[in-house]
Amino acid sequence: MQTISRAYGQLLYLCFSLACLILLAMTVMICADVFTRNTGLADLSWSNEISETMLSAMTMLAAPWLLRQGQHIRVDILLQALPARAGWACEWAADLLGFACSVALAYHGWLVTHESYLGGGMITKTLVTPEWWGTAPWVLSFSLLSLEFLFRMDRLRKAEHRPRHDAVSAS
Amino acid sequence: MTWQQASLLLFGGSTALLFLGLPVAFSFLVVNLAGALLFLGGEPGLGQLVRNGSASITSFSLTPIPLFVLMGEVLFHTGVALKVIDGIERLIRRMPARLAVVAVVAGTIFSAISGSTIATTAMLGSLMLPLMLQRGYHPTMACGPIMAIGAVDMLIPPSAITVLLGSLSGISISKLLVGGVTPGFILSLSFIAYIVVRASLRPAIAPNGPLDEHRGWERVRPFLVYVLPLATIFGVVVGSMIAGWATPTESAALGSMATILVTACYRALTPARLFAALKGTLVISAMILFIILGATTFSQILSFSGATNGLVQTVTSTGLSPMAIVAGMLALLIFLGLFVEQISMMMITLPVFMPIVNQLGIDTVWFGIMYLICMQLGLLLPPHGMLLMTMRGVAPAEVRMTDIFKAVTPYVAMTMLLLVAIFFWPAIATWLPARF
Repeated sequence: MQTISRAYGQLLYLCFSLACLILLAMTVMICADVFTRNTGLADLSWSNEISETMLSAMTMLAAPWLLRQGQHIRVDILLQALPARAGWACEWAADLLGFACSVALAYHGWLVTHESYLGGGMITKTLVTPEWWGTAPWVLSFSLLSLEFLFRMDRLRKAEHRPRHDAVSAS
Repeated sequence: MTWQQASLLLFGGSTALLFLGLPVAFSFLVVNLAGALLFLGGEPGLGQLVRNGSASITSFSLTPIPLFVLMGEVLFHTGVALKVIDGIERLIRRMPARLAVVAVVAGTIFSAISGSTIATTAMLGSLMLPLMLQRGYHPTMACGPIMAIGAVDMLIPPSAITVLLGSLSGISISKLLVGGVTPGFILSLSFIAYIVVRASLRPAIAPNGPLDEHRGWERVRPFLVYVLPLATIFGVVVGSMIAGWATPTESAALGSMATILVTACYRALTPARLFAALKGTLVISAMILFIILGATTFSQILSFSGATNGLVQTVTSTGLSPMAIVAGMLALLIFLGLFVEQISMMMITLPVFMPIVNQLGIDTVWFGIMYLICMQLGLLLPPHGMLLMTMRGVAPAEVRMTDIFKAVTPYVAMTMLLLVAIFFWPAIATWLPARF
């Protein structure tokens, strides 16, 4: 189980690293758009749409790795105040809910994406793109999150019976 | 289901899940699933939940969140930020409590080029606190300015939290960013004035130590070489907006690129450091964006269920004046800040507060700036203020938690005073944004 978990962690890190490169590419592209627009060198008016797609893609790709790292912020005031075992029990409840939620969202994301793919729905803005492109990263992300919640519960089972020290602020 | 029952289910459910320790984003997603089944028509509602969630973060107006964070991360990971402290210290040699003043000035400069309060506090705390304690500063005089100026980061643009507030509340992001400038600088100046006066009255709490030996060019060189060029980053962000070359959103990308270029000019940027900065950025911004994904649909479900309308009608029909209602909302925010972190605060309150603010015709920029100050207070208020915990994490063991609580008290009082001042004189917050 530990080997599988480690390999899965590497897959999540690969997704996270890809998201980092997308962030860099997005920064360069927006700057290029401003530069070419003000100098009249080229028309990159489509770049806004690509940028927002990149923003969504990098969020979806990074989210599962953040869960592995305990970086999805939460409020742990009650967990830390409770006796250690009770806090540990709350962690179980939270992980089970997180797992169920991720599975449900991955499943319904798949239904929406599949339906859109079959229906051939298109989004027409500056660029014309298939609608299912918008929801496909959702399916990938929540599928990866579902699996990560399982690994998370396995780690919780083996760990000391007390609450975790996950991130509690984004400020 | 009545609106009271819907409110109880949606607010009570999300709050219970938050306190259970489920990550904030998932707390809202779980409630959204239940809400979509109950209020959005079951199966079609769940499909709508997916489409809304995907669309919520496919938004160009949210791109400044990672870009503002990236500016600070690049500066911190390349070590250029450290040079700033040296540059400022050499310039203000004879000022009472010189190191405390340096902390505030450096913190203000970092605030103007970084969007993360924790990063600013952690960096100033780990670099300057040991030095101040070694020179014989009283722990309260050493810790207080660092925590206080760390919190001001939230007000002075660029600020990722301000972009998030604007995005979730529908308040103009650029006006909010510009509106934070005056209150932010008022606070910085008040902090410096307080430190200087207190150290003048009781020099023993902040001894200056031996005078810096550097003279002439050597004295001003670090300031000219390391501090002034950083001002160009702030200039690029604000200047490109004012000149009309870039939208506020695009100016964030220009600021990030300027930061990368400046650090490259100092030969401080390596591929490894750039990647570390990108990773640090993504950890913060992806987590924020993932919460937005959950929050957007939460607001829509609240509205569909009738809870928003019911709550707004109840509040507006109490007969209280708009000022009294705003005061009540601010008091609630300060109370929430004692227990709940800033993003959860926004998630819980904005879906109800903003319809009330809009219905009463209240100036949204004025309200938004006061909202930011309340969140800033939440970072500093015992027992769970995040910056208190950050300081505890970087301070040596001899600094007790009670020292940290005492240290932050005068700065909390000054921030409260500013909040009251803006409440009665909105122009402090709205004058500058009205010029743009």
